[in-house]
Amino acid sequence: MADELLIRNGVVYDPINGVKGEKKDICIRDGKVVDSVTNPKVIDAEGRVVMPGGVDIHSHIAGGKVNAGRIMRPEDERKGVEPKTKVCRAQSGYSVPNTFATGYRYARMGYTFVMEAAMPPLAARHTHEEMVDIPILDNAAMPLIDNNWMTMEYVKSGDTDLLAAYIAWMMKATKGYAVKVVNPGGTEAWGWGKNCNLNDTVPYFDVTPAEIIKGLAEANEKFEMPHSIHVHGNMLGHPGNYEMTKDTYDVVKGIKPYRDRPTMHATHTQFHSYGGTTWGNFESKADAIADYINENDHMSIDLGSVILGDTTTMTADGPMEYSLYQITGRKWTNHDVELETGTGITPFLYSGKVSVHTIQWAIGQELALLVKDPWKVALTTDHPNAGPFIGYPIIISHLMSKKRRDESAEAMHKAIFDRAALPSIDREYDLNEIAIITRGMTAKTLGLHEHGKGHLGVGADADVAIYDMSPEERDAGKIQKAFLNTKYTIKGGQIVVKDGEVVATPPGRTIFVTPECDDKLTDEMLVTLKDKFAKYYSVTFNNYPVQDAYLPNPYEIKAPWRSS
Amino acid sequence: MQTITLKLKDAAMSGIAQVPVEVDALTPDKLFGKSEAELKAVKVWWGNKQEAAGDLFDVSVAGDAGSGDEVKIVFEGDLTRVKRIGDGMKSGEIEARGDVDMHCGAMMEGGKIVVKGNANCWAGREMRGGELVIEGDAEDNLCAMYRGEDKGMTGGKVMVNGNAGECVGQYMAGGEILIKGNVDRLAGLSMSGGKITIGGDAELFGPDMIGGEIVVKGKVLEMMPSFRPDGTESIEGVEYKKYLGDLAMGEKKAKGTLYAR
Repeated sequence: MADELLIRNGVVYDPINGVKGEKKDICIRDGKVVDSVTNPKVIDAEGRVVMPGGVDIHSHIAGGKVNAGRIMRPEDERKGVEPKTKVCRAQSGYSVPNTFATGYRYARMGYTFVMEAAMPPLAARHTHEEMVDIPILDNAAMPLIDNNWMTMEYVKSGDTDLLAAYIAWMMKATKGYAVKVVNPGGTEAWGWGKNCNLNDTVPYFDVTPAEIIKGLAEANEKFEMPHSIHVHGNMLGHPGNYEMTKDTYDVVKGIKPYRDRPTMHATHTQFHSYGGTTWGNFESKADAIADYINENDHMSIDLGSVILGDTTTMTADGPMEYSLYQITGRKWTNHDVELETGTGITPFLYSGKVSVHTIQWAIGQELALLVKDPWKVALTTDHPNAGPFIGYPIIISHLMSKKRRDESAEAMHKAIFDRAALPSIDREYDLNEIAIITRGMTAKTLGLHEHGKGHLGVGADADVAIYDMSPEERDAGKIQKAFLNTKYTIKGGQIVVKDGEVVATPPGRTIFVTPECDDKLTDEMLVTLKDKFAKYYSVTFNNYPVQDAYLPNPYEIKAPWRSS
Repeated sequence: MQTITLKLKDAAMSGIAQVPVEVDALTPDKLFGKSEAELKAVKVWWGNKQEAAGDLFDVSVAGDAGSGDEVKIVFEGDLTRVKRIGDGMKSGEIEARGDVDMHCGAMMEGGKIVVKGNANCWAGREMRGGELVIEGDAEDNLCAMYRGEDKGMTGGKVMVNGNAGECVGQYMAGGEILIKGNVDRLAGLSMSGGKITIGGDAELFGPDMIGGEIVVKGKVLEMMPSFRPDGTESIEGVEYKKYLGDLAMGEKKAKGTLYAR
């Protein structure tokens, strides 16, 4: 007998299908949304808000640096300790929760897909092992390809086709999803104790970050890739970086994407929207960045919005983590990943009493409120860099309530009134817009809407979040509470959360992209690559690729070579 | 005044594994106002299971209390695998009749604990207030921070009649520790405030110190090389050499003071 479920009397927000708060039944059979059901188990949503399962476009949840963060911060593991239950395994951690807690907490917020934002290719196995260990969530990971020696050499020689062949090989070898760029050239320059502005030359390789970004964007569009290149630009977190941010966006202007999606996704834009010249005259330039996004259609962004409190910053941007350590004096680490990338980690406390942190806090929300089209914006905290993902409901409540924002601003450093725009913005998000920035836009930007994610149309994955609130709810505290713990979360047709408690923990799937590349081109690229392995890598060419066994629940998306 | 006597049943420790009992739920402030039946029903971790206190301890209650301050808990029996005695306690008194396991008096905020024996590691960990008396020896990390934290003891008073292990008062930021016997290496590691007095011998005390003071009355077995002599000072009629440091933390931050003979 078919496994059927009917969700009755819900007020549905399904932006991809243009459903804006309609009373509508959702029919589910065998893990998919269907037209009708015959003998279903019925959930009466009783007028509550119903949305597709959340899709997080950028979050650091698995892999070498996340685990290094856990090892480095046993004091963080002390927070959020919950003993095992009949269903759940033991949980620990706040900003770097263990794998189980990561799955349970996302599911309790109604999320069913999370993108691991930075996978060092050499650590791909570790990343996949942890993603398999995360219950409930479907996930994918973006390999770091920008500070890679092969990439920089092909950018230098201008061989975009060979670069594309390398990207294809790398996606297959790491079971990755999209091209991730982190401080292009800068992380490699850090090996020489230097960092890079957008148009500086990377030591030895004689290319600029702008050339790397352009080369990768062009190579990415050689395939029918579901996602654009995903870029963390240069000089993250430095006062006055907003001009460079706009220049970075200009680099890919004019490159035609293979379908109706941006050419570049710029991540954690909050960290890239800084004015001033020092921390002393630091100010928000979110308005300038938002203007750019409003005027151009080749870009999408996510927020990287700040959650006040203690967190653990971690990124492939090694020099940035070192600068952060110089400010705080707290423990830190840097790591070099052979020919590929690097890593840095250091704890950080965002305080509402510090002017800079207050302005950072404002910038993330300003970006969401000043960009007119929510289809260009994704809600993230760059977990855990600007704060842990468990803080999403706090941001949602602020975006939905001017009153809430005013109350928060009153309690924070007064710099928010002089050097940020947030207190002067009246816009409030509605639930449809919240649904866009947490599932519709993110699924579409990642190209996952064509694979059943982020919407509730017939044929979609039966991933549903039922929030314990009516669509008329205006109380920010109640909104925050509702988005923290769902009434129900349904994953693939199975109830995984009920009344805020995890009741089932099915394994998630790992989604990966296989770009299809011409054999001749691949062979030519492999001559160079095998030489790199023979000369420099600590592993051999044959031992490098992630075996299929690492993905017990794989979901493959093929990305054919574009004919034109 | 109310006295609650909790005698660990022999059966609890009869297994080969000696599964530890964690008694942070059994503090005077938490048990105040409970009837004997309620008290026996309080859940206590025994390994990875929660058991009723009455199943692990023989419980007897004498007298009445008007507040948590008037409650005294006496732990009896084999306490060598009983952890977290007085963990987080705010008021009242605890007497432990025997050697106790780790984390005795951890996170303590008020009241008094007397251990009539030795205390295992982490006694007085991250203690904030109150008084802890250990009549025997204390093992490593007395009054230290827990792994990864940057604050150890911040307040209260601790007295050890015997010796203490390594890293006494690691990351200590306030409060007072008095040890009558000897201490192992690295007392006051990364200390920023408070005072440690060592009656016996000590070695390599005060590394990475940026505040607070350490007094060593016995022999200095080995001195940290990164402290600067700063004259002498008389304490209780005895002349001590004074040192400032730890200079390894940089000249500006080196605000720790050592006194040694």
